[in-house]
Amino acid sequence: MNMFARRMRASAAAAVFCLSAAIPGWALADPMRVAFGDIATVESLHLLAALERAKEKGVDVQVTFLKSEDIAAQAVVSGQADIGVGGPYALLQKVKAPIRIFMQLSKLQFYPVVNSEAYKEWKDLDGQEIAVHSRGSGTEAIMKLMADKNGIKYSNISYVPGAEVRTGALLQGNVKATIVDSSGKRVLEKEAPGKFIFLPLGEVSATDEALFANTEYLQKNQKDIEILVESILTTWREVAADPKAAIALRDKYKLLPDATPEMVADIEPYFTEAAATLPLNGGGEDAARDDFEFYTISGALEGKPAELKVEDFWDLTALNAVLAKTGTK
Amino acid sequence: MHMAASPHKVGATGGAGSGSSSIVETLAEFARRRKSFWVVVSLAILFTAWEIAGRVPISFAFPTFLETLSALIEMALDGTLLPAYLITFQPLLLGVAVSAVLGIGLGIVMGLSDKAEWLLAPVFIVLQAAPMAALVPLVTFVYGIGLVAKTLAVIMLALPVIVLNSYKAVRHVNPSLVDMCRSFQGTRMQQIFKIIIPDATPVLFAGLRLGIAAGFIGVMLAELLITPTGIGDLITYHRSVANYAHMYAAVASIIAVSTLTLAALQYVELRFLRPEKRRK
Repeated sequence: MNMFARRMRASAAAAVFCLSAAIPGWALADPMRVAFGDIATVESLHLLAALERAKEKGVDVQVTFLKSEDIAAQAVVSGQADIGVGGPYALLQKVKAPIRIFMQLSKLQFYPVVNSEAYKEWKDLDGQEIAVHSRGSGTEAIMKLMADKNGIKYSNISYVPGAEVRTGALLQGNVKATIVDSSGKRVLEKEAPGKFIFLPLGEVSATDEALFANTEYLQKNQKDIEILVESILTTWREVAADPKAAIALRDKYKLLPDATPEMVADIEPYFTEAAATLPLNGGGEDAARDDFEFYTISGALEGKPAELKVEDFWDLTALNAVLAKTGTK
Repeated sequence: MHMAASPHKVGATGGAGSGSSSIVETLAEFARRRKSFWVVVSLAILFTAWEIAGRVPISFAFPTFLETLSALIEMALDGTLLPAYLITFQPLLLGVAVSAVLGIGLGIVMGLSDKAEWLLAPVFIVLQAAPMAALVPLVTFVYGIGLVAKTLAVIMLALPVIVLNSYKAVRHVNPSLVDMCRSFQGTRMQQIFKIIIPDATPVLFAGLRLGIAAGFIGVMLAELLITPTGIGDLITYHRSVANYAHMYAAVASIIAVSTLTLAALQYVELRFLRPEKRRK
C-alpha cells in the first residue's frame, strides 16, 4: 500500500509539473510567428523596428531567422510559421498552397557592375561571361532583361550566391561582370574608386521582399495583421522622410545588438539610398502587376502577365483597411 | 546478385503454373531462389507508400511518386540530367581517385609501420568522426568556390574512410602467411608485395567502396553548400521555383546512381575478390 501511495504521489507531482509547464502556453494568445529568409542585417533594421512597434501594440511577435527564403516559405506552407518574408511567387503559382502576399516590403535594388579594365558598357558584355546570384533569381532576370534591351547575349552565366561574395570576387578580379546590391556598391566605391563602372539600368520595378501568410491565418487574425501592416507603413514613411530615423529606432529598441561598427556606419547610407524606392503604400495591386511582368521574364512565374490574377497571389484586405485609415502617400 | 530481376519475370513464372495455389507456390519458390525478389517487393512497398503520402498529401510541397517519376523522365529526355551528371562527376571522380591512391598508400604505410600509425591514425580517426557538413563551408575561405574546393570536399569525406580501412586491412593480414614468408626467407619487400597486399586486397576494396559512398555524400554537400552546380544546381533551382517533383526527381536520381554504383562495386568485389563470400 505504501508503495502504491508513493507511486500516486510521484504521478501527481509529474502531472502538476507538466500542467505548470503547459499553462503559460494556454494563458497567452497564439503568438504571431514571423519567419525571415535570411539573418538580420542592416537591411532588415526597419522591419525589426516595425515588429517591435507591433509588439508594443499588443501583438505577440516571435521572430525566427532561417537559412533561405525557400525554407521560410516552406515553414509557412507547413504551418510552422504564420508569416514569411520573401517573394514566393513560384510557390504560389505551382503549389496550390493557400498562401497570399499581403504587403510589399522592398523592391529589387541591384546594380550591374563591370571591371573598367575589361568592359565599359552593356555592348561590351556581348559574348562575355557574367555572374549572378542563382538560377531563376531576380538578379539573373535583371541581367537577362538588360541583355534583351541592349541586343546582346552572354556566353555564360555563372551562379555565385551572395552579393557580398560577388563583391569580393570583383575586388579580387575573379569576376569581371556581375550584379551587386547597394551595400556591395558602396564597398566597391570605397575600396576601389573608379575601378568599377556601374551600368545604367532601365526601369525595373519588382518585389524583392514581401510578407505572406496562410489565407486562414489572414482571416482569423485580421486585427493583428492590420496592426502589423500599420506599424510597417508608419515606420517605412518615417525612415523614407528621414533616413537617420533608422539609427534612432535601432537605439530605441536595441536592435542588432551585435552589429559591428562597419554595419552601424552603413545604416544611414543604406537607408538614404533605399528611401527613394521604399514602398510607402505596401505595394498592392500595382506592385502585383509589376511583379507579373518581371517574374514571368525571370521564369519564376509561368503564363502571360495580363492573364495572371492579382487575387490568386495577393490578399489586399488588411492593406486596404490600413490605407483607408492612414491615407496613401 | 541479380538486381535486374523484373516483376514481369515473376508474372511469367506464375502464369505458367496451373491454378492459384501453384501461382503462390511458384512465387514462394522464386522468392526462395532469388533474394532480389525481396528487393523488388521492398521497393514496391516504398514507392506505394510514397504515392499514397503524396496523394494525401502530407504537404503541399510533396509530390507523388508518379509525378516524380514523370519529372525524372522529362529531365532525362530534355537533356538537363546528363550534363548535370557530367558536372557532378568531375569533382567526384577526381576526389575519389585522389582519395583512393593517397588513402590506400597511407593506409598501407600506417599498417606496416608503428611510427606512421602513431603519427597519422589519430588525425584520420578525428576526421572520420568530424561532422563534415560543418567543415565544408570553411573550405571556401581558403580554396574559393571552384572545382578545387569541391574536389577537396569529396576528399575530406572519402579519404579518412579509405585510409582507416586500408590500415585495418593490412593489420589483419593472416599472421601465419607472414610467418610462412619468413620461414621461406622472403625479404621484407617480398613479404609486403607478395603476401600482405594480396591478402589485404578484399578489405582494401571494401574500404574503397565505402570511400566512394562517402564521396557521393561529399559531392552533394559541396554542390549544396559551396555553389550550386550539376545535380546540386538542379535541386536548388527546382526548389527555388517550386518545381518540387523535379527537385525530388533530382534527389532520387542521385540516390539511385549512388546505390547502383555501390551495388556494381559490391558485385565486382564478391565476384573477383571474395570467393568465400559468394552464396552459390
